[in-house]
Amino acid sequence: MDYSYSPKVVTVGHVDHGKSSFIGRLMYELGQVTEEKFQELKSVSAKRGVEFEFAFLLDALQDERNQGITIDTTQIFFKTERRNYIFIDAPGHKEFIKNMITGASSADIAFLIVDVAEGVKEQTKKHAYLLKILGFERVIVLYNKIDKIKYCQEKFTKINKELTAYLSKLEVEVHSSIPISAKNGDNISKNSEKTDWYLGGTVIDVLDGFSIKNNDHKNELRFPVQDIYKVGDKRIIVGRVESGKITNEDTLLFLPTNQIVKVKSLESWPKSKKEYNQGECVGITLDEQIFVDVGNIASRPGTPPKLMNRFEANVFWLSQSKLKLNKKYDLKINTGQYHVSINEIKKIIDTNNLQPKKNFNVTKNDICELVFHSSQLIPMDDYSHIKSTGRFCLLDENEIVAGGILNLKNFPDQKEVLSETKKNILPEEFYVSEIDRSVMLKHRPGIIWLTGLSGSGKSTIAKGVEKKLFSEHFNVFSLDGDNIRLGLNKDLSFSPEDRTENIRRTAEVAKLFSEAGFIVIVSLISPYRSERRKARDIRPEIFKLIYTKASLDICTKRDVKGLYAKAKSGEIKSFTGISSPYEEPEKPELIIDTEKENVNESIEKLYNFIKKEFSFS
Amino acid sequence: MDNHLRKLENESIYIFRQSFRSIKNIAMLWSLGKDSNVMMWLAFKAFLGKLPFPVVHVDTKKKFKEMYEFRDIYEKKWDLNLIKGKCPPINKIDPSLPPAARSAARKTEGLKNILDQYKFKGIIAGIRRDEQGTRAKERIFSPRDESGKWDVKNQPPEFWDQSNFNYPDTVHIRIHPLLGWTEIDIWKYIKEQKIPIVDLYFSKNGKRYRSLGDEDITFPVDSNASNVDEIIEELKITKISERSGRAMDHEQEDVFEKLRTKGYM
Repeated sequence: MDYSYSPKVVTVGHVDHGKSSFIGRLMYELGQVTEEKFQELKSVSAKRGVEFEFAFLLDALQDERNQGITIDTTQIFFKTERRNYIFIDAPGHKEFIKNMITGASSADIAFLIVDVAEGVKEQTKKHAYLLKILGFERVIVLYNKIDKIKYCQEKFTKINKELTAYLSKLEVEVHSSIPISAKNGDNISKNSEKTDWYLGGTVIDVLDGFSIKNNDHKNELRFPVQDIYKVGDKRIIVGRVESGKITNEDTLLFLPTNQIVKVKSLESWPKSKKEYNQGECVGITLDEQIFVDVGNIASRPGTPPKLMNRFEANVFWLSQSKLKLNKKYDLKINTGQYHVSINEIKKIIDTNNLQPKKNFNVTKNDICELVFHSSQLIPMDDYSHIKSTGRFCLLDENEIVAGGILNLKNFPDQKEVLSETKKNILPEEFYVSEIDRSVMLKHRPGIIWLTGLSGSGKSTIAKGVEKKLFSEHFNVFSLDGDNIRLGLNKDLSFSPEDRTENIRRTAEVAKLFSEAGFIVIVSLISPYRSERRKARDIRPEIFKLIYTKASLDICTKRDVKGLYAKAKSGEIKSFTGISSPYEEPEKPELIIDTEKENVNESIEKLYNFIKKEFSFS
Repeated sequence: MDNHLRKLENESIYIFRQSFRSIKNIAMLWSLGKDSNVMMWLAFKAFLGKLPFPVVHVDTKKKFKEMYEFRDIYEKKWDLNLIKGKCPPINKIDPSLPPAARSAARKTEGLKNILDQYKFKGIIAGIRRDEQGTRAKERIFSPRDESGKWDVKNQPPEFWDQSNFNYPDTVHIRIHPLLGWTEIDIWKYIKEQKIPIVDLYFSKNGKRYRSLGDEDITFPVDSNASNVDEIIEELKITKISERSGRAMDHEQEDVFEKLRTKGYM
């Protein structure tokens, strides 16, 4: 066994079943509570008029000490004679599931703690289920407060049977079941005489004997692209090996672009190695320049991840706000981020009896099975195949609302489809040209889409940014809605249908510019959410929606072109804001508030945004 | 390098790269202490030898002279884009705090001024979970409101290396790449990588500093450890806590939590 590695150990279970007390006791028995700390805890306990409480060692927050519960996860470091451990204490109260997951998600070993006097409770089962989703295949069960049931073997056996049966339904194996008392120290570091019927090892024996297996024994390379750096003449693709290993002689397949290329060199500072294993960060340079973006996954050509736009997942819901079907969420998987929607709730699982619940309203702390849809192809793995590329979190605006593990069995892999279309339609030299340009230009192509009311400042900002970027040798072009209407789109009116067509054509033109390596800045009122979404879907990986925000009141006052006056008098029909609606963007990548910022500040803001997003650093 | 250090090193590099990728306009705090220099070293690893963001020293003007000398040498040697931040005088600080904590809180105010001036959206800080109970509760990416406040009772979830980076414009994120390191890990890594540090950490006349802060509120501990190897040996057996020489920690039970919720590192 490798003792140089320090495993992370998490304790989970129902509130007040003694998780923090257990860790405190363990530390004390191992002689790792400093004298200073011991005295501090004594006085803290005395101050609150309670018996000496080991839990205070971990419950450092005032509220935690006063309420006698753990609120947030914490970590503590200790060592046995064998090896070092990092102990993670996770709260048991159901209000703090997100903190429990935060704590347990990084652990290698899990202790499930049950108060034998109270028995298996709601959160015992919920936590057990979450451990399964978090990838634990084995757990150590601690039956705490054995002193409270007078060290009774029968009662212990009964509860142990019940819980073991539950865990086996989850396909979680019980590694050991240990009767303990955190308060008195039974079976923690010494076998207790009071439980002479218990023949297993102490907590410390069991812990030291626990070998950590990595069950992704597939050895298949997964290298998600984290960023692209420009160092001297080199274009270095950085990332972390999530599975398998990478060597300087590898040939890699990049997905979703489906391109095969040889590794030229592996890069790290101050010196490089020939081979990098799972968990190691490394930079790669490639033999030929291909278009690579953040979130792409490199693998060996024979063993690629799947490429999906429909998939199922087993999800824990963390948010106060309910799950909404067909709403856009952001899915973050490894280094990639994608727009997805949830099309179907297959079932919500009642963790008490593992039966489906009768309702289909997913609310906070529910565990459910969902079907997802994405307009982009996402490289991913089934969770049972490779864990680190088989799990994700879900974002809604600025909140992580859920996490989940992927089940890819019921929908087809889109790789075949992709290679067919590429082969038949897209000429090869086209891609070479795009990437060659972007390498020469030191920036990636991009579509910067400015939406906002007439008079909100789109064109002014676009012109200012274009000039600034051009002076720094950016290949940049400003595409103005008004100008396009004078040429390409002069056959279109302002009816809803024609506005839609106007946007479609403009988006296609923007796409062509981007394929030629340009950063193209589009200024277009584009009032409808659905149309902006379609524009985004044309090249979502480089599309950035910028909202130039100004109230109708202000825009009317500015009325640079005199259009509002004409709209109000009825001379112009169907004018956005007056006689035709403007739907505010739900989640633009950037908001430029032209009421609060002056023109130069706005230009500077967008300029910095573009540089940050599209320059090769 | 042993497996444990290798794992920590790679986790930190990943965090650095994720921060730079996901948060606009970031900077790194450089307190000149041992952790800070390890952090600097890891940043060089993450960005292949050259930092793509500025480094901030929030200067209380009360540091040890050895620290200032160190700063001036390595600012040049490491080719840093260094911002020297000023701190307000003590009479501008919340008088309800106990004396040493009040003095330490100057640094929080100094940092706020820097944030106002440079509009940083991410600040990389070298705190570790094993230093202090409330730091143990920290997230790797920890959001703060405009006044720098830490909402400890409502922290965002963080799992599978996924964190939230979308916050309102008034929020900045504290980034903690060293959160999972322990004091002994830091010293083993300093030894392994030969990272330079201020020599106040080494014993002179039976005393050495375990942790460096302002000269007037930081005290040495009894120790004969005069080099990195001896420090590592000492840490394997010591029962004295790392911050025992930092007066601010011992004035009241909850003083550190109070300082931290107000924005202290």
